[in-house]
Amino acid sequence: MVLGLSDSAFRPSALRRGQRFDPTAADRPVLVFDGVFKAYRPDCPVLRGFSLTIQRGEFMFVTGPSGAGKSTLLRLLYAAEQVDAGRILFLGREVGRLTQDSVPFLRRNIGIVFQDFKLIENFTVLENVGLPLQVLGLPERVVNLRVGEVLERVGLGGRGHERASVLSGGEKQRVAIARAIVSEPALLLADEPTGNLDPQLAVDILGLFEDIHSTGVTVMFATHDRSLLDIRPRRVVVLDEGRAFDVPQGLEGAALGAA
Amino acid sequence: MNAFDRAFRAMRSDLEVHLLSIFSVGVAFVCLVTAMLVVVNVQHVQNRWQHIGKLSVYLNANTAPERINDLDAALRATPGVSGVRFVPSEEARRELMSDHGDDTLAALPEQAFPASLEVDTQESLTFEAREQMAKQLQILPGVESVETYANWSSKLATVFSGGVTAAAVLALIVLGAVVSVVSSTIRMALQKRHVEVEVLKLVGATDSYVRGPFIVEGAAQGALGAVVALSLVGALYSFVRGTFEAHLTALLGVNISFLPWTLSAGLLVGGAALGAGAAYLSLRRLLVV
Repeated sequence: MVLGLSDSAFRPSALRRGQRFDPTAADRPVLVFDGVFKAYRPDCPVLRGFSLTIQRGEFMFVTGPSGAGKSTLLRLLYAAEQVDAGRILFLGREVGRLTQDSVPFLRRNIGIVFQDFKLIENFTVLENVGLPLQVLGLPERVVNLRVGEVLERVGLGGRGHERASVLSGGEKQRVAIARAIVSEPALLLADEPTGNLDPQLAVDILGLFEDIHSTGVTVMFATHDRSLLDIRPRRVVVLDEGRAFDVPQGLEGAALGAA
Repeated sequence: MNAFDRAFRAMRSDLEVHLLSIFSVGVAFVCLVTAMLVVVNVQHVQNRWQHIGKLSVYLNANTAPERINDLDAALRATPGVSGVRFVPSEEARRELMSDHGDDTLAALPEQAFPASLEVDTQESLTFEAREQMAKQLQILPGVESVETYANWSSKLATVFSGGVTAAAVLALIVLGAVVSVVSSTIRMALQKRHVEVEVLKLVGATDSYVRGPFIVEGAAQGALGAVVALSLVGALYSFVRGTFEAHLTALLGVNISFLPWTLSAGLLVGGAALGAGAAYLSLRRLLVV
């Protein structure tokens, strides 16, 4: 935790007042889905008893056809939706039981990248990327320093003063990724981040996620683009009819194994 | 960037909408400021009449000069009386004619202009003491009637209380107008900046952090609306005072004045609070991400 943000912002129960620090907490899974049910219509559940455990530092693809519930899964995780049954544990805390006031502190530990970038068009790159740090109330000097470092990391060094509206699609997605990682979250979620990009840019963006993962960040990458899954053998979770089918060695590895 | 920086930036980027909103709030405030200005000046006139310290003792037509001299001497010896002047019937007619310049007054009979003793009392003399003095004078021989101008004061008190009621009603209308205008503007701003709000909430901003600039914008609209109203009414007041001051002073007996600074500051603070409240209420229902 370079900035020491996550610890202060979202305290696991072990660090709460009156409780002792538990050194084994670091070995626990970063994320656990335990029998999660979610339905928007009673006759058509999106998730039916979805269970999954994600270890600290993992890179995992979530795939499945459109409407399979990939986005719902992510929305449940950052508390934009509530589970109907089951539970989601993030850093040992049950997301569904967080009060409305605690949700912002949960989100400060999760970086999210969207297909449509969700950049504020009339803000500069620097302002867009610096938002998570501004929210934490860090001094302007620290924000600028940190944003500069992250922009270098995503290949946009020196572009901080350009308006987001003048950037290309690939550059916008890099800015969105920079914004997602600037506060060093415990988990990086990507919801179809390459959906609006051409195949080559998509591969570049995936490479960027892999670079970020190599620094120890846990990444959950939701995509329906099978070509990305074959680039490198990674754990793949296939969502089908509301359940998870876990393929630990990637789809290609599983196909070879079956052969 | 704190809430003020973010609000200032948002207002600058959407200047036309905000200016329109400020002007609309200002127009609503103009009615209230005007009513308050009238009330304040009516109150000044009422105070002036209450402390004017004048009595007119009207005499019977056949009162002997010796009796008038006795009355004059008795009044001068009364505590609280600062001066007495005898105004004969002809002089009363002459004064009225010179004031109004109307020849028909000359045709009126002598009884229409009774002789009088104009009594000046000290300002420290209370309204009640003057009334008591009038009652005592009323029963003296040779005195027809005594005018204390109390009926003028009571008429002004009625006008004053009517003005206060009108101002209170206008304040309610202004409250409704400000809440409606500011809420609409904030809703529009929220619609326009929905991506910003969504992103802020996704990166972990608390509701109060997201609301901050909108509430500052609402407060600024309310306060600036009040400033616009005070400036418009102030300009009108300066014009009226510059053009009709002599006539108004002669008519009312006091110099007209603008709202005291405490009331102006109160309007400003009230406008800001009203705008902030309206923004807060509109966000409470809409800020769900």
